[in-house]
Amino acid sequence: MAATLSPVRARRRPAARVWRDRLPGIVMGGPAVLVFLAMFIVPMFLAFVLSLTDWNGYSLNFTFIGLENYAEAFRNPRTVDAAVFTAVVAFTGTILCNGVGLFIAALIAGNGRANTLLRTIFFYPYIISALIIGFLWSAMLAPEGAVNGLLGTLGVAPVPFLTEVTFAKASVILTIVWSHFGFNMILFLAGIKSVPPEYYEAATVDGASKWQQFRNVTLPLIAPVFTVNLVLTLVGLLKVYDIVLALTDGGPAGSTQTIVYQVLRDSFANSELGFGAAQSVILLLVTAVLGLAVTLARRGAEKKVAD
Amino acid sequence: MATTTHPTPPLTGPTAPAATASPTSRTRRRRPVPGVGTILKWVVLGLGALVMLVPLYIMVINAFKPQDAIISSPLAIGPDTFSLEHLQAALTSEKFNVVRAYGVTLLFVALVNVCGIALAAPVAYVIARGRSKWHLGLLLLFVSGLFIPGQVTLIPVVFVLRVLGLINTVPGFILFETAATLPVTIFLFAAYLRTVPRDIDEAAALDGAGKIRAFWSCIFPIMRPVVATIVVLNSISVWNDFVSPQIILGPSSGIYTVTTGVYAAVGEFSTDYTTVFPTLLLAVSPAILFFVLMQRHIIGGLVAGATKG
Repeated sequence: MAATLSPVRARRRPAARVWRDRLPGIVMGGPAVLVFLAMFIVPMFLAFVLSLTDWNGYSLNFTFIGLENYAEAFRNPRTVDAAVFTAVVAFTGTILCNGVGLFIAALIAGNGRANTLLRTIFFYPYIISALIIGFLWSAMLAPEGAVNGLLGTLGVAPVPFLTEVTFAKASVILTIVWSHFGFNMILFLAGIKSVPPEYYEAATVDGASKWQQFRNVTLPLIAPVFTVNLVLTLVGLLKVYDIVLALTDGGPAGSTQTIVYQVLRDSFANSELGFGAAQSVILLLVTAVLGLAVTLARRGAEKKVAD
Repeated sequence: MATTTHPTPPLTGPTAPAATASPTSRTRRRRPVPGVGTILKWVVLGLGALVMLVPLYIMVINAFKPQDAIISSPLAIGPDTFSLEHLQAALTSEKFNVVRAYGVTLLFVALVNVCGIALAAPVAYVIARGRSKWHLGLLLLFVSGLFIPGQVTLIPVVFVLRVLGLINTVPGFILFETAATLPVTIFLFAAYLRTVPRDIDEAAALDGAGKIRAFWSCIFPIMRPVVATIVVLNSISVWNDFVSPQIILGPSSGIYTVTTGVYAAVGEFSTDYTTVFPTLLLAVSPAILFFVLMQRHIIGGLVAGATKG
């Protein structure tokens, strides 16, 4: 619309002409840039500024306390525990999701009907919201839930899946793996299927066994898919929250609280907005560093294959 | 590629069982009689499928049973315990109007898709066609959003929306969700548009179309495959999102999506299974139905989105 107004001025000076050429681009790009600035960049800087204050989120006065919130994050046992648990979830979750995903993908890589059906069965939890997955497993793993009922008929004493610290931590991780490995499997499947069949034929002629083919042909060729899977899972699990909220609500005794759980609780329920912001900035930095580190480390592995 | 050549006889002996469970077997050949390896593979897959399906089965059958029957025999259902009462109660619950939540969430999904694509497509076009460092910088700006977890910005976003007067409102929520879709959308769109030949732009320019009109009438229709990918990705993430509607819309707005509604209905009654299972079943059914119907597109979209990103 604005484009139709400019030609009047544009004919006079070359500078105006430059702007007339740029105008469509600005009209096309401007709205997205504005929305992105308002909802991403400004809030990110705001989070950093808030993390330097002791603001509680509603009062009119607050003071800048420098890096005190960051020091507190490393001192506060609650935050440290949550950080450790988040790291455990992210690393074991990433390894298990990708391990199970790759294993199943290798087994069902064929084109048969059974394989298509199995792909659906292994993948479906991924499209269900993590909150609902959490509530479902919470109902099943409860002291009187279905899993204990089943164990009871086998003569096994009830297992405190969600009420004992170690069991609860394992339950969180296994529930995540149950709902997420299907996504990794799908990507591995796509990678495996994109390997040209001639390579396998050549390998067979050379007398390579199935395992050797998998190890020396498939794995190197799906290295890029591996990278994507590792980065996406790791970055995703570092901000795990919904499933924990529904499954254990951080319990028992706060043992399954994650960093995002702390951030949201400190920022809103506990009115420690500055402290919450500091923890979220730490999460942002860790996510960015780990995401980049894995990408760079894997780039080496991918290159080795290309050479 | 295949470097190691094991001195395997070209023909396996009469005993195929050399093929053991793991793929470590050295001499496996396709044979009409399934070897131990094949049998074990199907046993493993069968058990795996059971682990995936039993929770779904438990959720479905227990939605039709009273509390004591759920606890005493979670895996069984018979005519004596079957009842539609609890499902009906969940469907007409005062706390959580499921049908309304479907409508609200679906509307949000549609709005975010339309807004996200309308904002991202033209800027991706500008980026894809631009050659200056500004265009590269613009792409990097948006792509940096891929590494910013939504939960980190969510708290300050609340204050930005408060300043704009949009907190606890639908436009505020749509604005945030739309922004959240931009990084992936722009990245995939720009990558796709680089593969669209410039001849089409020039042809449109010769016909006298302005740059903006040329884009929407000539280029955008070509983007159909990548738009489909993005619709799949955005729809799943908006439908399943819990934290942003919970915080931006908030209980005070009285607007519930499927996830925030489930949280309101189930959160405090998590031991009353006659509420839990029917509510979860109702919340999950549309997603599962959608998945079964659109499976190929959903999986294709996810793969395209992840591997090109």
